[in-house]
Amino acid sequence: MAQCALDRLPNAIEGEGRLDRPGHRLEHGLAFTENLLGITGGRARAVLHGVWLGHPLHPVFTDLPIGSWTTALVLDLTGHRRAARAAVGVGIAGALAAAVTGLHDWQHTHDEARRVGLVHGTLNTLALGLYGWSWWQRGRGHHLRGLLAALLGYPVIMASGFLGGTLVYRHRIGVDRTDERCEPRRFTRAMAERDLPDRSPRRARAGDVDVVLVRVDGRVHALEDACPHLGGPLSQGWLRDGSLTCPWHGSRFALSGGRSLNGPATAPAPCFQTRVRDGWIEVRRAPALTTAPPGSALAHQQEVQP
Amino acid sequence: MLTEAPPAPAGPERRTATRVLVEHHEVLRGLIRHLRRTPCSRPGRRRALAGELYDELWMHERIEEEIFYPAMRDVTPALAAAWSEHRQLSDQLAALVRADPRTERFDRELDMLHDALESHAHLDEERRMFPEVERFADEDLLVGLGDRLSARLGRLRSSRRVRMVLRLQRTLLRHTAR
Repeated sequence: MAQCALDRLPNAIEGEGRLDRPGHRLEHGLAFTENLLGITGGRARAVLHGVWLGHPLHPVFTDLPIGSWTTALVLDLTGHRRAARAAVGVGIAGALAAAVTGLHDWQHTHDEARRVGLVHGTLNTLALGLYGWSWWQRGRGHHLRGLLAALLGYPVIMASGFLGGTLVYRHRIGVDRTDERCEPRRFTRAMAERDLPDRSPRRARAGDVDVVLVRVDGRVHALEDACPHLGGPLSQGWLRDGSLTCPWHGSRFALSGGRSLNGPATAPAPCFQTRVRDGWIEVRRAPALTTAPPGSALAHQQEVQP
Repeated sequence: MLTEAPPAPAGPERRTATRVLVEHHEVLRGLIRHLRRTPCSRPGRRRALAGELYDELWMHERIEEEIFYPAMRDVTPALAAAWSEHRQLSDQLAALVRADPRTERFDRELDMLHDALESHAHLDEERRMFPEVERFADEDLLVGLGDRLSARLGRLRSSRRVRMVLRLQRTLLRHTAR
């Protein structure tokens, strides 16, 4: 029963097409601001997406306001007014950091997730406003007003946190979308060597896996064709400074190793070993390092060099 | 006496939405070709052309986003990707405007803009989305949309306010570049 009621909220938001227009307006403004500040092509982009962390940076900050404002509530109830104000302040700082990283991630989402994210952000802004006012009023000695604003803001931040969970667990935003496969385990023909031009990505099929092949300086590189962020077709992307750019959201991947360089993808693109035999480009999955026992098939795959 | 009905007045030829958009893609491609042929010894000319490309591409994105995509919501599922490809084009366009037209970096950014435009216009729209739209959408609807697209494009091009906003954007982008 309760589960159905909780389900209805995200369902209603996902189906609300009227959220698209303000969402896109906001994104246009955000895009221009980021280009103006040099974030798009700069190092701040990767930092804000959390590429250095290996997963999105946003959830690191969201714990701060939720935890601090919960603490403030407890401190208010036990009569520690000054400590409560400090806790509210820490929460505000965390909420600002979460807002910046959250907007940065949100701009690269699609459709339903985008709508949920817009409501999530709006609710957070509302809560941030209430807590900001609470902090200010507490500073001026109006403790009761501050407490009232905090009591109003707390359910808002809870609802918003619920939507944040929806974004991760239902829409898989920020989650590595690559499926863990081992195929092809052996070198498999993907494309005739003469069909692959220099410095231009091409899609090929190796067994039942789509790969993107790129030849740079005589070396053939192969990555899985789906971007680990939202599954964009990397074979329709382009090269930038020796890395492959996803055509959808501009994540750049190192050609050897598939490491993400700038986000929004924080996970690496799965990589393949390549070799040329009898005029054919052959690829084999480069397995992630595992702790497979010696002699097992996986360990064998890791040890044998092309 | 039977007379033949006079031929219908020859109004301006009506084009389908996809036709209008493909033709505008050609305008954008022409601008990029023109830019590529202009040597870096003529930085003023290059900057002017880059500015024109900025404006045209901006308007192209607007007419697609405000008229074409909303009308195609039930026809093709590829719209979310198209939206985000626009974002990549905007980002690359900003990088081009921020690059010094005398340097090699300008050429590199231009090459990448070319690749990004082909990825969106050719691989995604002309080869996938538009054929799908032409197969499943009503012909009259597409012609009506085509009228709206070209009318809106004309209005944007002749609007002094839009021109001013775009010039301001380009100036801001150029002057904050490092």
